[in-house]
Amino acid sequence: MKLAAYYLERLKGNKTAIIGLAFIIFLVLTALIGPFFTVSPTQVNFSEKNLPPIGFSSEQSEYSAKVGGLVMTNMHGTWKHPLGTDGMGRDLLSQLISGARVSLLVGLLATGLAIVIGAIIGVSSAYFGGIADSILMRFTDIMITFPFLLLLILIVYMFGSSLALIILSIGLTGWTGTARLVRSETLSLRTRDFVIASKALGASDLRIIFYHLLPNTISSIIVLATLSIPGAILAEAALSFIGLGDPQVASWGNILNAGQNDLQAAWWIAVEPGIMLFFTVISFNFLGEGLRDAFDPKGDYN
Amino acid sequence: MDRSYLAKRLLHALIIAWGVMTASFFLMRIGPHSPADKYLATLGAGHNVSQVTAAIESRYGVDRPLYEQYFNYINSLLHGDWGWSFSTSMPVSDLIKIHWAYSFQLIFLSSILAIILGISLGIFTAARKNTKADHIATFFSFAGISIPNFWLGMMLILIFSVKLGWFKTYYDTGLPMFSLSNLYALILPVITLATGMVAGYGRFVRSSMLENMNKDFVRTARAKGLPESVVLRKHVFRNALLPVVTIIMLDMSGIIFGGAYITEFIFGIPGLGWMSLKAVFSDDYSVVMAVTLIGAFVTLFFNLVADIAYTYLDPRIRYE
Amino acid sequence: MTSEIILSIENLKTYFFTKKGIVRAVDNISFDIRKGEILCIVGESGSGKTVTALSILRLVESPGKIIEGKIILDEDNLLELSPHKMQDVRGNKIAMVFQDPHSALNPIFTIGDQVSEAISAHKSCNKEDASSQATQLLELVGIPLAKERYHDYPHQFSGGMKQRVVIAMALACHPRVLIADEPATALDLTVQAQILDLFLELRARFEMSIIYITHDLGVVSEIADSIVVMYAGRIMEKGGSRDVLGNPVHPYTKGLMGCLPSEKGIIIPIPGTIPGLINPPAGCIFHPRCVNALDICRMERPPMTKITDEHYVSCFLGGVNG
Repeated sequence: MKLAAYYLERLKGNKTAIIGLAFIIFLVLTALIGPFFTVSPTQVNFSEKNLPPIGFSSEQSEYSAKVGGLVMTNMHGTWKHPLGTDGMGRDLLSQLISGARVSLLVGLLATGLAIVIGAIIGVSSAYFGGIADSILMRFTDIMITFPFLLLLILIVYMFGSSLALIILSIGLTGWTGTARLVRSETLSLRTRDFVIASKALGASDLRIIFYHLLPNTISSIIVLATLSIPGAILAEAALSFIGLGDPQVASWGNILNAGQNDLQAAWWIAVEPGIMLFFTVISFNFLGEGLRDAFDPKGDYN
Repeated sequence: MDRSYLAKRLLHALIIAWGVMTASFFLMRIGPHSPADKYLATLGAGHNVSQVTAAIESRYGVDRPLYEQYFNYINSLLHGDWGWSFSTSMPVSDLIKIHWAYSFQLIFLSSILAIILGISLGIFTAARKNTKADHIATFFSFAGISIPNFWLGMMLILIFSVKLGWFKTYYDTGLPMFSLSNLYALILPVITLATGMVAGYGRFVRSSMLENMNKDFVRTARAKGLPESVVLRKHVFRNALLPVVTIIMLDMSGIIFGGAYITEFIFGIPGLGWMSLKAVFSDDYSVVMAVTLIGAFVTLFFNLVADIAYTYLDPRIRYE
Repeated sequence: MTSEIILSIENLKTYFFTKKGIVRAVDNISFDIRKGEILCIVGESGSGKTVTALSILRLVESPGKIIEGKIILDEDNLLELSPHKMQDVRGNKIAMVFQDPHSALNPIFTIGDQVSEAISAHKSCNKEDASSQATQLLELVGIPLAKERYHDYPHQFSGGMKQRVVIAMALACHPRVLIADEPATALDLTVQAQILDLFLELRARFEMSIIYITHDLGVVSEIADSIVVMYAGRIMEKGGSRDVLGNPVHPYTKGLMGCLPSEKGIIIPIPGTIPGLINPPAGCIFHPRCVNALDICRMERPPMTKITDEHYVSCFLGGVNG
C-alpha cells in the first residue's frame, strides 16, 4: 500500500493524467447515478423530435393541421431535453448516459478478459518454455495477423451482435499485446535469483507463477490495460457505428449511426456522442501515459 | 548468416499463413453458415429442399470427411478460388479484382501524407523539446490519436460538405481513379484516415529522436564540430528511423485496414471494406471471410517487409 | 617546461539545475595547459572531471549550464563565441576522445564515413580526399588493414580498435588540444597500455597538448607533465607532475596516493565518500574526510596558495604539514 501511495504521489505531478482521471471518475459517476435523474433513453415522442440542445435553434419541418402540410418552424432547445432529442424524439442526454454505461462496461469487461487471457498465455509461455512456448507464441502470431476490426466484424457477423457477445469477442481477440508483454517480462524474471530460490525450495509451478512472476509484471499490466480500454471502447463504437452493434442498447456508436443520416437536419445527434467518445478515449490515454511515467524508474531524474 | 535469417523469417511467415488459413477454416466450420443455407435462402419456396441441400453440399464438399474438406479448402485458397459471392453472383476473386484498387488508392495516399507529416512533426517537436510549440503539438497529437476516425469523418462531412458546401462530389467509379474530380472527393477521406496516423507517427518519431539524442555518439558528432542540423539529420534521425520503419510497416496493416474499412463506409468509396460491409448486410459469407483473410495476408506481408527492411537498415543485424 | 600557454581556464563554474536543487558540478576552477604538454586531471568519479572537459567544448547539456568563467584559446574567450564559431573550434582546434568507445561511435555508419566526416566538417575537400586522409588517419592510429576495414561498421571492431577509430576522428584536423576523457577505462588492461602508448606517440609527433582525464594515479605517474587534482567540483592541488607526485601537499592528494598500493602492498583508503554537491559542506569541501581538519576549514573556503611557481594548493595547511 505504501508503494501505491508513492506512485499516486508521482501521478499527482502529471496534470494531464489527473485531468484524465477526473473525467473518468465523472463518467463513472454519471453512468451510475445519471439514470435516476433522467427520462428513459428509449421513450419515443414524435412531437418533440429533432430538438436542438439548449442555446441553439434549428429549422425543422413539421406537419401542421392548419395548413394541411409541412411547415418550417424554428425550434429552440428546452430544459426538458438539455442536449436535444433525436429523430424519434428520444432524449439525447439520457441516451448519452446510457451510452456511457455501455462504453464503460465494454471497456472494463473486454479489457479485463483480454488481460486475464493474455497474462495466462504470456506467463505460461515464458515459464514452461520449449514446445509450449513455441505453440503459444505461434498462436499469438496468428491472432495478431488478423486485423483486429476485421476479425471482430467477421465474428459479430457470424455469431450475432448482442452486447455480451461483442464484449466477449473483443476480449477473446484483444489479448495478444498482453501475452507478448507478460511473456517478455516473465522471461527476464524467470532467471532471477528469487525465482530460482523458491524453485529450489520446492515451490509448485502455480505458486511461482502467481506469487512471484505475475505480481512483478503488474505495473506494466496496469499501464497496458489503461491504454487498451480506449481500444475496446472504440471497437464497440465502430461496430455499432457501421450498424453491427447491439440494437437493444443505446450506445454512443448506435447514436452516431443514427445521427449520420440526420447531419443536415440535426447535427447535434452526430456531434454529442462523438465528443463523449473523444473525451473518454483521450482521458484513458492521458491516464495511461501518466501511469507509465509514474511507474518508470527513470522518471526520477530532473 | 544473412541468408539463413531471411530463410527463417520466410518459414515463419509460411507457418503463420498456414495458421491463418486453418483458423479461417475452423471459424467457418463452427459458424452457423452452411453454403446450402445461403443458396436456399435465395431460392425461395417450391423446391425439394432436402434434394437441393444434398446437391449443394456435395457440390461444396460439405458432406465429405472433415480432413478432406480442410485439404480442399486450403487447396482452393492457394489456387485463387476464394468462393462464390451469392449477392453479386460472381466469384469472390473477381469481386476482389474490381474493388482492391480503390482501397489501395485511399490507403496509399493517406499513408504517404501521414508518413511525410508525421515524421516532420516528430523531428520538429523533438528538436524543440519542452518548448511551447512542443507542448501544443503534443496536445494535438494526443487529440489526433484519441479522436475516433469515424466521428472525425462525419464531422468533416458536417462542416465542409453540409455547412460550408465545399465538398459536394462523391467518389465516382465511372471516372478514372486519378481524375481531378475523384482526387478532390478523396480529400476528406484521406484527412480522416491520415489524422490518427500523423499523430501516432509524430509521437513515435519524437520519442525515438529524443532517445537517440541522449546517445554518446551524438555527443561525439557534436564534438567533431558538425553543424547541429547535420547532427540531427544524420546521426539522430537515421538511428531514430529504424524503429519508425518497423512501426509504420506493422501499422500499415492493422490500424490502416480497420481505419480504411470505416472510412470507405463513411465516404462511399467502393474499396474492399465497403465491399465487405455490403456483403455483411446482404449476408454474403464468402466475401466477408475473403476480406478478413486478405487483411491477414497483407499484415503478414508487411511484417515480413518490416523484418527484411530492418536487416537492411541496421548493419548490426546485417553482418551478424 | 615553460613553453607558451595554449588554453587557459579561468574561474569556470558549471552548475546543473535539477529539480532537487543546484548541483555545483564544477565550482570555480582555473588551470592552464601549455603547448605540447600532457595535463592530467585526476579525481574520483563525480569530482567534475568530465563536466570540465565538456565545458571546454561547450557541450554541457541541459539542465547543466556554464555560469561564469573564461576559457581562452588564442586570445579568444570560447564562452563568448557565436555558436557557429564554436562549431569551428570543436574537432578542429580542440578535439575530444570519450570514455566508452562502444557507444561513442554511431552504429549505423561505417568507421570510414565517421572519420572522413570529421575531416570534411572543417576542411573544404572533396570526398576522395577526405576518404584518403581518413584512411591515413586510421593507419596512423594503428588499425590494421585500414583500407580494407574502411567500410566496416563499429560492431565489427573490438573495444580497443573502436577507441583507435575515435582517436583517429579526434586527430582529423590536427587539433591543438586533445581532451581524452578516461579513454582507456572501458578497455582491457593490456589494451589500456597500448592506448596510452598511442597518446605518447601522438604527442611527440604532432606537438599537441593533451588533457588526459583519469582516476588512475598509476597512469598519471607514467604520462603526466602537469597535474590537476579535482575533488567535488573544485581543484585541490595543481602543479608539475614531479611537484605534485613527489611532494603532495593537499591531504586529499596524499590520500589518493595512499590508495596506490605501496611497496609493502598495503592500501590505505580515504575515509568517507564524496559529498553531495547540492548542499556541499561549508568551508573546505574536503574537510569532512580530512584527518587534519581545523576549525577554519569548516568555515572558510581555502584560497589557492602558491607553494612554488609551478605548484599550487587549496588548503589552509598548505606547506605546514607538507
